[in-house]
Amino acid sequence: MSTAPTGLRAERRARLAAAMQAAGIDVLVVAGNPWRSDYLRYALDLAPSEGQVFALIERKGTARIFAEHPAEAARFHSEQPDLQVGWSVSPIEEVEREVRGLDPGRTALAPLAAVPYRLAAGPLRPTMAPATAMLDGLMLRKSLLEIGAFRRAAALADEGYAVFREAARVGRPEYALVADVEAFLRSRGCPENFQILGAGGREVRGMHPPTERCLAPGDLVTTELTPCVDGYYAQICRTLVVGAAGEAQQRAFAVYDEALVAGIAAVRPGATAGEVARAQNEIFRRHGLGDYVSSEYTRVRGHGLGLYVDGRPAVLEDVDLVLEPEMTLIVHPNTYHPEVGYFVHGDSVRVIDGGCEVLTRTPRRLFSVSAA
Amino acid sequence: MREAGLSAALLYTSFARPSAVAWLTHFVPYWNEGLLVVLPSGAPVLLAAFSRRMHGWIHSVCHVGEVQSVSHLGRAAADFLQQRVPGPSRIGVLELDALPWLVAEPLLNSRTTTLADATSLFAAIRQPVDDTEIRLAQRASAIAVKALDSIPRGARRASEVLSTIERSARLDGAEEVLPRLAPDLAADTTLRRLEGDLSLGERYAVELALAYKAAWIRVARCFSKETPRSWLDAQEWTSDWAARLNAGPPAGPPGEVAFWCIEACVGSQPLSVVASSGAARTDIPAGTLACLSLRLNLADGPWLSAVPVVIGGRVLV
Repeated sequence: MSTAPTGLRAERRARLAAAMQAAGIDVLVVAGNPWRSDYLRYALDLAPSEGQVFALIERKGTARIFAEHPAEAARFHSEQPDLQVGWSVSPIEEVEREVRGLDPGRTALAPLAAVPYRLAAGPLRPTMAPATAMLDGLMLRKSLLEIGAFRRAAALADEGYAVFREAARVGRPEYALVADVEAFLRSRGCPENFQILGAGGREVRGMHPPTERCLAPGDLVTTELTPCVDGYYAQICRTLVVGAAGEAQQRAFAVYDEALVAGIAAVRPGATAGEVARAQNEIFRRHGLGDYVSSEYTRVRGHGLGLYVDGRPAVLEDVDLVLEPEMTLIVHPNTYHPEVGYFVHGDSVRVIDGGCEVLTRTPRRLFSVSAA
Repeated sequence: MREAGLSAALLYTSFARPSAVAWLTHFVPYWNEGLLVVLPSGAPVLLAAFSRRMHGWIHSVCHVGEVQSVSHLGRAAADFLQQRVPGPSRIGVLELDALPWLVAEPLLNSRTTTLADATSLFAAIRQPVDDTEIRLAQRASAIAVKALDSIPRGARRASEVLSTIERSARLDGAEEVLPRLAPDLAADTTLRRLEGDLSLGERYAVELALAYKAAWIRVARCFSKETPRSWLDAQEWTSDWAARLNAGPPAGPPGEVAFWCIEACVGSQPLSVVASSGAARTDIPAGTLACLSLRLNLADGPWLSAVPVVIGGRVLV
């Protein structure tokens, strides 16, 4: 069950109601699923784990939920008895029927990332972009209660990484490392964790879900670990070596550490996400590694965090979203290094007046575990 | 596809809807999304929002032909179809109604392509399953049973149960672990996704859905310090039903049948409800890999169960 502080749920709902009023929306239809649950979580504190879920949220209070799975419907009703919850094998049809009875001028549909074709093709199509932008605006800048949850998630990410380091031993398959971390996180009441990893040498070009590959001496082991607390995800990225770090691995670490420091130094209100990316990329260019900050070798230099693991803004040089206080993101100059393979290094931060607060506290070191 | 006059079929995949593409190729996009294009001949083509550096990983874990990295799935699919299926064409889309709008819109704007819903077509070939899939489901079921067996008898906290399950299942190779828990059956039978922790009552229930090599099953079991006689009777009745499963519950249940449903993988969802106490049906094909979930109100309290079965004759746990 969701045990998010009641205040958090009520606060988000009040902010949403105010935004709906300002936008002239009486009913907001929100779509979600187990991957894109963030908008539903914000609007109603619902976290789907199976099937599609739709909510018809009236600005003045009531909400009706259409779930695809009976167990999910029962769970939502148990978590929040004030919601009107039903289930159907075709919830899209049910919602479509309901929408027909609403005033299209006072109803909106969101988010673009989760709305299905059949609903989008209907009369609410023109409302999707502005309604999504309205919700994005609410979700980008966190309240103090939201920051509190994010802070707890960051602390758990640190603890999770300590477990990961302990789990990394020669001969263990990648999935065993994740098993240890997930077991630890469940023991701490954390329901979800997004984690990918990589292990090996120069042949490793990215991270992926755990495979059956066993750790070997000399491996670089990368991970990004993203636990969820009260719905809010924080992330840490670190790299360790199985055995003593070689000279090339140490040299590589120094570049990534310098880039992370530069990226974090660039995070401040008024700066753009692009400037944060550029600050990191310039370090690589200065070290003759400019080729490796292109999309051929890396994805982003960080991204927003909150109710979604990979939120706005994407930290890329061409992204001009301006940072504001109480935005939360990870800065991570993760990319391929031609001498040692894929390398990750990143911390979760909160934008504050004049700069940012780094919330993950694991030392920025190239960790080493026994190769015995 | 030939019989339906389709020039190609499109199957969308994401973490939330992985199963159709996983069945055809064994690929699951996890944090990303993709579109599988199945042409009348040749290996399927995967359009994915991954960067090219991930192609090695993709080819190492699945059976696809060409992989194309694309920044916008819908536009890329429209372009791809224009090149590979020139001229007026009818394209089947699995679960067209549910296709994400951002993917669907560019396809709808194509002048030469007509989209047709291919949900029924896919469902008709998805079940019954073959022996390989049954063996994967058996392995998944064994992982789940072992995980439930590993719960300490004296467990007092939900977090203790969930941690134990997670470790056991993942160490045995489960790639997805989805537990729900009714922490105190005397108070509430709702299976919950827990955030935080709760004390366990004298009787509690755990439901565990998990995936092993993309084969999903669901198992549920009740726990108590002493196993009541009524639970053994309920288990026997349920096993008997599951072994002959092709319709609603048989006569003579040991209590009131409060709810039941049968789930199977017939599309992109790992498990979809195909029959339930609210909408019974009798036409589930023999050989369908399914999960039976039910709740009984026994004389001494509620009882929950879920078991994977092959319709028409085999219980997998």
